[in-house]
Amino acid sequence: MAVRETPPVVPEVRLKDLAPAVSPVELVARIVMCERREVTRRSDGSRRPLVSGLLSDGTASVRFTWWDPPREGIERGMVVRAVGAEVREFRGRPEVTFSWRTRIGPASPAELPRIDGDDIPFRTVRELAPPVEGFRLEVRVVRVTPRSVTVGEERRVVHEGIVADRTGALAFSSWSDFGLVSGEAIRIAGGYVRGFRGRPQLVLDERASVLRIEGTDLPDPAELLRSAPRSIARVEDDGGGEAVAVEGLVVGLLPPSGLVYRCPTCQRSVKNGLCRIHGQVEGQLDLRARIVLDDGTGALTVNAGRADTERLGGVTLEEVRRRLREQPDPSLIEEELLERLLGCRLRVRGSGSRDDFGVTITPESIERVEVDLEATAEELTARLGEDRA
Amino acid sequence: MTLREPAWRVTSRELEGSLEEEKGEGERAASYLLSPFGARMNRVLVTGTLSPAEPIGRDESQPFWRARLTDPTGAVAVTAGSFQPRAMSQLRSSTAPRPAIVVGKVHLYRGRDGVGYVSVRAEGVRFVSENEERGVLGDIVRQTLDRLDLLERLEKEPAVPEEELVREGVPRAWVRSARDALRRYPHVDRAAFRKELRSAVRRVAGDSGPVAASVAPPPTVTVTRAPPPRAPPPPPTPAERQEESVFLDQLDEIAEVSADGYADLKELLSRVAVRGLVSDRAEAVLNRLEEEGVVEEPIVGKLRRA
Repeated sequence: MAVRETPPVVPEVRLKDLAPAVSPVELVARIVMCERREVTRRSDGSRRPLVSGLLSDGTASVRFTWWDPPREGIERGMVVRAVGAEVREFRGRPEVTFSWRTRIGPASPAELPRIDGDDIPFRTVRELAPPVEGFRLEVRVVRVTPRSVTVGEERRVVHEGIVADRTGALAFSSWSDFGLVSGEAIRIAGGYVRGFRGRPQLVLDERASVLRIEGTDLPDPAELLRSAPRSIARVEDDGGGEAVAVEGLVVGLLPPSGLVYRCPTCQRSVKNGLCRIHGQVEGQLDLRARIVLDDGTGALTVNAGRADTERLGGVTLEEVRRRLREQPDPSLIEEELLERLLGCRLRVRGSGSRDDFGVTITPESIERVEVDLEATAEELTARLGEDRA
Repeated sequence: MTLREPAWRVTSRELEGSLEEEKGEGERAASYLLSPFGARMNRVLVTGTLSPAEPIGRDESQPFWRARLTDPTGAVAVTAGSFQPRAMSQLRSSTAPRPAIVVGKVHLYRGRDGVGYVSVRAEGVRFVSENEERGVLGDIVRQTLDRLDLLERLEKEPAVPEEELVREGVPRAWVRSARDALRRYPHVDRAAFRKELRSAVRRVAGDSGPVAASVAPPPTVTVTRAPPPRAPPPPPTPAERQEESVFLDQLDEIAEVSADGYADLKELLSRVAVRGLVSDRAEAVLNRLEEEGVVEEPIVGKLRRA
């Protein structure tokens, strides 16, 4: 008579401690993203269902694959307990697999590891590179504004803004209303940082906790938003930033500048009558300028929208529309903009992100700057005078 | 990653004195002109009085125009051809000398006798008011002084780490180009150059009027200018000779086994450092050997016996 094997006792671990050396494991986690698929077996062509997605327990997020899952009942947001989950490594990050050997069932959110505890480490803004979670953060709310968005069928309010500490500023979006007010200092636990449009963004949802603190060594928000311009070389080095200020001369325009067509639904620019997302659309005329700003230490792109383009270029969309009837070449508008802008001294504030082509700034303000010639001459005379002695 | 080249703020005088080139490798690599005062230029921004342009070249289908830009420190040729249509039309449109800002790429033409001739191939030309010209000239002088200060700092403390300078606000690229400038132009008179900048500051202050445009040279004549005179170096001491032989031994050893026959500068410096020749001493030895024509650096960072 065969002896029935007793299943070995497996340790319960937190996702941040997962390692392929310790497998199988027991874990409790929330499904934050999931997708049902089928794969075709190469051997006999039969199809095998699976659910894959992302698990999180507040200490880390890992990808999971669930072979032969139940037909229904798996959805985003549910908490599961898995005993005998296998851990493997893919591209240097651990992943878990639920197979026929894994016992898996629903669990209560109360079983998730406590994440506002004292055992998770403090991090500074500079240390947070996405994707990361399981940290505490002490920051000041620099700015916060509510925005109403449509998620699937429902309308939700998301609170967006900037938080900062001495090491830097970070964009955040909060899906729960924590009653944040700009200027207050807070301690955050249970948030996570993801990449959003090339910049890190702190996301706070109902699992995050926010505590008001004293925060005496945190920067003054007004100071941060009105900081003096930095060199473009420095901004390039930092890879952009949430509250960037630079000053330089316009040395060129990048296409598409001047007259552009935009998708009426998503405002993306339309090329050949096609929107990247919505296909064939009737484009709407708009004015924009992708300004190349250079301060001698580096160069970056400033994406100026219609209002700024009209103001700086001294044209209006209406005027351009009228002129287009007589002079149907839209590239003339770009030429004219360049002629007006080339060599102009501008101070630009906004958020900057960096990609393979350098830093791009989405401006909050663009101002022309007048040089104080007298002060400049005095400063330079003084500097030159030093070596006379 | 291909970042856009910044437009270095330079005076004509600095451009005139720039004779060292750095050719990039590979497809579409940028090439640079190293100035004696710490600029590593691909693109520049200059300002001054721009003279009316004249056509050069005989081919009708390949128009090419040249003007001269004069600032208080000197003059430089500004050219534009059919590949710079906007800049060319600006050059052609001007009939009298006017203040202008020019953004463009630097070109070094080297004649058969080795003398260099720098010009700016304009990408953008804008005629401006005198005040705007003075403002931009102010930028140029300020950044030139920043670079000169950096050179002097590096001369005094050759071992200061790049990170420390970057923290103080020096652009990372400047540290490298300043080190190159010190190595490539060991005998440049910076004090004299500072004096020449005074005329530019007077222009910023408005004490002097616009600079009269210099007459453009006839198209057939090439302006030539010899490299700055170099003082003969003192004869090396026996100790220095000893250092040189350590240096050359290591260079030969590395070059022997390298794929391209060159000795990598970094590797060489780390090897000689182990043998007691630390960075600034090693740099001095390298400079002397280059000077004497024993060693050459045809590619930046790659050495071989001349």
